[in-house]
Amino acid sequence: MSQIDPILLSVYARTFKSITDEMSLSVEQTARSPILCEAKDFVTGLYDAQGNMLEQTENLPILAFSLAPVCKYLVEYFGDDIHDGDVIFHNDVFSMGNQNNDVAVYKPIFHAGELVAWSAVKGHQADIGGNVAGGYNPRATEVWQEALRIPPVKVFDRGVLRKDVWRLIFANIRLEIVQHDMRAQIGACTVGERRLREVLEKYGLRSFEDHKLVLFDATRKMMESEIATIPEGSYSGEGYVYFDGHNEGTKFTIRVTVTVKDRHITFDYSETDAQTDGFVNGTYTSSASASILTFLQMVNPDIPHNEGMIGPIDMIIPEGTILNASYPKATTFGNHLCPPNADAIIRALAPVIPDRITAGWNNLLASLTTGLDAEKGENYVDIGFMGLKGGSGAMRGTDGYDHIGMIDASGGILDQDYEMFEQQTPHLLKKHEYLTDSAGAGQWRGGLGVETEFVIGSEDTQLVTFGDGDFEPAFGLFGGLEGTLNKISLTYPDGSEVVPNNKDLITGVPKGTVYRQHAGGGGGYGDPARRDRATLAAEVRNGVISAAAASACYGFDESGNAEDDS
Amino acid sequence: MGLKIGVDVGGTFTDFLVAWEDREPEIFKVLSTSDDPSSAVINGLTEIARQQNPPLSINEFMASVETIVHGTTVTTNATLTRNGAKSGLITTAGVRDALEMRRGIREEQYNNRFTNVEPLVPRYLRVGVDGRLRRDGSEVEPLSLEQVEGAIELFTEEGVEAVSICFMNAFADADHEHRAAELVRAKLPNAYLTVSTDLLPSIRFYQRVSTTVLNSYIGPILNTYLEQLTARLNKNGFDGLLLIMQSNGGVMTPQTARKTAALTLLSGPAAGPGAGLVYAQAHERDDCIVVDMGGTSFEAALVTGSPVLVNEGVIDRHRIALPMLAIHTIGAGGGSIGWIDEGGLLRMGPQSAGANPGPVSYGQGGKLPACTDANLVLGYLNPDFFAGGTIALDIDAARAAIKKHIADPLGMDIENAAAGMYRVACNNMAQGVREVTIKRGFDPREFPMVVAGGAGPIHSCMICEELQIPLQIVPRESSILCAVGMLMGDLKHDFVRTFFARLGELDWSGLQQLVDDLVAEGTAMLLEENIPAGKQRFHLKLDCRYQKQYHEVSVEVSRAWIKTRDADSIHTAFHTEHNRLYGYSLEDQDVGVDLINVRLQAVGVTEKPDFQTQRFAGEDASSALKGEREMYIFSARDFRPVSVYDGHQMQHGNRVCGPALIEQVTTAILVSDSYDCVVDKYGSFVVYGKGREDLLGPEPSGDQS
Repeated sequence: MSQIDPILLSVYARTFKSITDEMSLSVEQTARSPILCEAKDFVTGLYDAQGNMLEQTENLPILAFSLAPVCKYLVEYFGDDIHDGDVIFHNDVFSMGNQNNDVAVYKPIFHAGELVAWSAVKGHQADIGGNVAGGYNPRATEVWQEALRIPPVKVFDRGVLRKDVWRLIFANIRLEIVQHDMRAQIGACTVGERRLREVLEKYGLRSFEDHKLVLFDATRKMMESEIATIPEGSYSGEGYVYFDGHNEGTKFTIRVTVTVKDRHITFDYSETDAQTDGFVNGTYTSSASASILTFLQMVNPDIPHNEGMIGPIDMIIPEGTILNASYPKATTFGNHLCPPNADAIIRALAPVIPDRITAGWNNLLASLTTGLDAEKGENYVDIGFMGLKGGSGAMRGTDGYDHIGMIDASGGILDQDYEMFEQQTPHLLKKHEYLTDSAGAGQWRGGLGVETEFVIGSEDTQLVTFGDGDFEPAFGLFGGLEGTLNKISLTYPDGSEVVPNNKDLITGVPKGTVYRQHAGGGGGYGDPARRDRATLAAEVRNGVISAAAASACYGFDESGNAEDDS
Repeated sequence: MGLKIGVDVGGTFTDFLVAWEDREPEIFKVLSTSDDPSSAVINGLTEIARQQNPPLSINEFMASVETIVHGTTVTTNATLTRNGAKSGLITTAGVRDALEMRRGIREEQYNNRFTNVEPLVPRYLRVGVDGRLRRDGSEVEPLSLEQVEGAIELFTEEGVEAVSICFMNAFADADHEHRAAELVRAKLPNAYLTVSTDLLPSIRFYQRVSTTVLNSYIGPILNTYLEQLTARLNKNGFDGLLLIMQSNGGVMTPQTARKTAALTLLSGPAAGPGAGLVYAQAHERDDCIVVDMGGTSFEAALVTGSPVLVNEGVIDRHRIALPMLAIHTIGAGGGSIGWIDEGGLLRMGPQSAGANPGPVSYGQGGKLPACTDANLVLGYLNPDFFAGGTIALDIDAARAAIKKHIADPLGMDIENAAAGMYRVACNNMAQGVREVTIKRGFDPREFPMVVAGGAGPIHSCMICEELQIPLQIVPRESSILCAVGMLMGDLKHDFVRTFFARLGELDWSGLQQLVDDLVAEGTAMLLEENIPAGKQRFHLKLDCRYQKQYHEVSVEVSRAWIKTRDADSIHTAFHTEHNRLYGYSLEDQDVGVDLINVRLQAVGVTEKPDFQTQRFAGEDASSALKGEREMYIFSARDFRPVSVYDGHQMQHGNRVCGPALIEQVTTAILVSDSYDCVVDKYGSFVVYGKGREDLLGPEPSGDQS
């Protein structure tokens, strides 16, 4: 082993991070789909020759922890058939993909003729073929009804574009922008490749390899010492999933047993309900990502994200459960099982580490509209990001974050800008504001939800809903109250109202229909009667809590006196 | 021509550069006065007058001053400390929360204790009114003037001092905004008013509302400050021109600054890059990297012909969409504290010991080892000659702190721990330089680095080794580079308008008309500032993107291309820029290019002071040799004796071989063993890679008289 230089170690760590950040910026600036460049629904990363995570930039954490497992799979899959200049695509959920729409690009990095690392970018594509534009098909029962499957495939071979393969893939995808977005992802991988090569040229492979191992080890120790602060034992909790898209009134339970022992933590989902008939099923890596990102919010946020961080975390997610569907089940909803999974983990650990967990977060309920923008003569696909972002749960000492969105993004996904939204769709935005009284009351209140209203501007519009949170609100903790429910409704020009299911497909929505959505607030923490009165007075004045709710939930009247003080 | 003075108000010191017609510029520093920063300005000027020979009263001295260029951080500080005006917002019904939501971002995703930033206008003073335009500017619903009046009544009751107006899609038609503004002016004549389309008539609602509100929030504060300052200067006999530094690297008159206060928000370091360029130009280069390392922060910027402009930035997590110099700031300075993280990795900063308590070696109560302490242990700083000997440095205390907090936990000796601190700090700064070069598609090795700030020249060799930059220029005035830059600033005004079009099917006459309008607007503004036509320059940029792309690339274009309807040249310029920035272009594919915004910068060229050149004094620097000192040499991983020179004694042509130290009162220059140093004709220290004399250009030998 070459001599380990503790200083050089810091240099490597900082440099890896700046590389993945630079890759992220490259995608953000060059992609077409607002899903990538506005909402930032993508992740960039660097991996070693074996596929171990070196560093990542995790705009959307739910995508983040499947890149390394797939990279390891590619190393095995291609064996000695990996060459300088290759570019590989992958989305296949039955070989550790997240969601069919999340297509990853991997580029091997060579130094002195030897494979030394990988750069990768995984992003949510605006379309991925299958029965329904945009990819969310609540009626699907099998993967082929959802998407084009892309097992590992080389689109560049030794630097040469395989035109036939490229055409085959994009012949099966509706929107042309997806091609350009994949070009942007390849460009970002090239950016990562160039930078890492510079590092290797400067310090040499031996130094890189040796320091990498020490870095993994230091990070593992950090994670272990964080885990060691949780009392040893086994703790169980549940989260709930409502409606599988096929059978009305269905409800499924995610059961986790979290075991802390010998500086390791295990998330065991053996008791979780079986997979569903529809697309409400997770894949192994999307479920494992969900558990990891939830747990990471309970430990020191400064731990570097590399292979060492994952080491002390173990997963048991049996195949055939709702969190790990078996072939060839439909799974597009899998990423969105993160909120109930997080609920289960939080409920399990709340009694053990009450100062480090939040109350429940608002669950996701989203919609996707597609149609023709007649004025521009162009088709559009829009995921309604601004409408879906509710509030986070409160924790001891800190209110929930308003309008942050689901826990799997944790504030990484952004609203469309209102004026850009009106440029890119034919819709007219009427309202997008904080939703009064949506936050779960508590000594620390939940984050506020939002209400969104727009007039649909295309004839024969197709609307897909996907999500949950319209049956069960975000839960409160330790005397804190729950947040409000999600809801989507349509008021047609003739005055009739349609309330879609939480996983639905509605066609033929006419121009002039008013779309309304509530994203609920997060759960509160602690007894509302103990909430700071000056803060409450300001909140009433600002209209985020009504006078009536302040009185009913907090015992607060406008004169500033607690009514039930005696 | 009279005197020109650059005044840079910083956190600790207010710097002055006095440019005379017939002798070398002089540097002055006085302590800043945070309560009323204009007192320090007057204190400094009084002091400068007193030091004249014979001593003058401030009134006598000021009579000879022609121009004062002033950089101020009052607006920056008011924003950071939340001391802006009580503000109200009138906006379109239904979107009043956009300002506070900030599009729903939480910058630290895994940190549930990270809270949103307090909005600059509280919700109850954000009033939505009916009245709506579509995306093309056509009216869906007329403006409700009754509701605007309702907002005005509320603002009156609440004692609101500053009002912002920002309506949906107003970039396409400003009529609603103007009618609301008329009413506000009539009923609240004393309130500061910002209309979004006056300040920023371009698409993207959140950017516009955030920028508009920032402008109003700090407008009254800047007004008050400028009134105080002008009154004080006038009272003390000043009858010349006062100019204010802007974030775009240009200057403006106080009258312009009053209307567009937000243009000063990130102006603190904005004079540095322009000054750096002047020193690079002495070496026949029109590009450079400029770095400035002070006590708490490190700034890096790139100059390519002119300092690189970006179209927006962030202050305290609020977006500000006005053109500003691309300056990257990180928390790395002489006061940056070294610490060991949970995983056992050595880190430097961003926490800083600041000026108070300062590094351990200052002996003012600092307990944690800072960058300056490491420099002292490594022999880079002279314990008896810090700040010219006015601050005695305690090396034993520095060693003890490094031992306790760094060396022992890492199992290293004190010297290697100090070397580690130095190296990590330099690596952080090198990453900062990458941000402004590599991340924007430029290779740092192709640029000379102009090094400024009290702590800059001690670290620049290692930063440059890290990035393989072969040439550094350390100006004699390096510790007050921003004050120098202020005297180099032109009047600069940026204009932007949204203009949607596909480049292939462009309404050329419409575009020509728009450009003509912008030029007319710029001309009027410059004439108001007494800039004659011959000194006016206009730079045109088009924000373009590939069809359906979301973010734009600003491309410089010639006005002649618009006149001759030369779409090909615009296409080529765009493809080239996209490729440079992001590693690919779609030139070979049939993809349309869309035009989104038209940007014009109107420049009024001001007179610059001429710096005096020195006579060539030969290569021999031995008369400046002070002695020898042990300093840590990285390649040897040990201490070696090196020559120490008195920088003030070194003259044009003097040459020093690295490793060496060159000490001055306000800074020290570390020439590592990979570099040599020569003094150029302006007295700047030029540090170049060993054997790279070719970089120095045709250095004269004795013909400079």
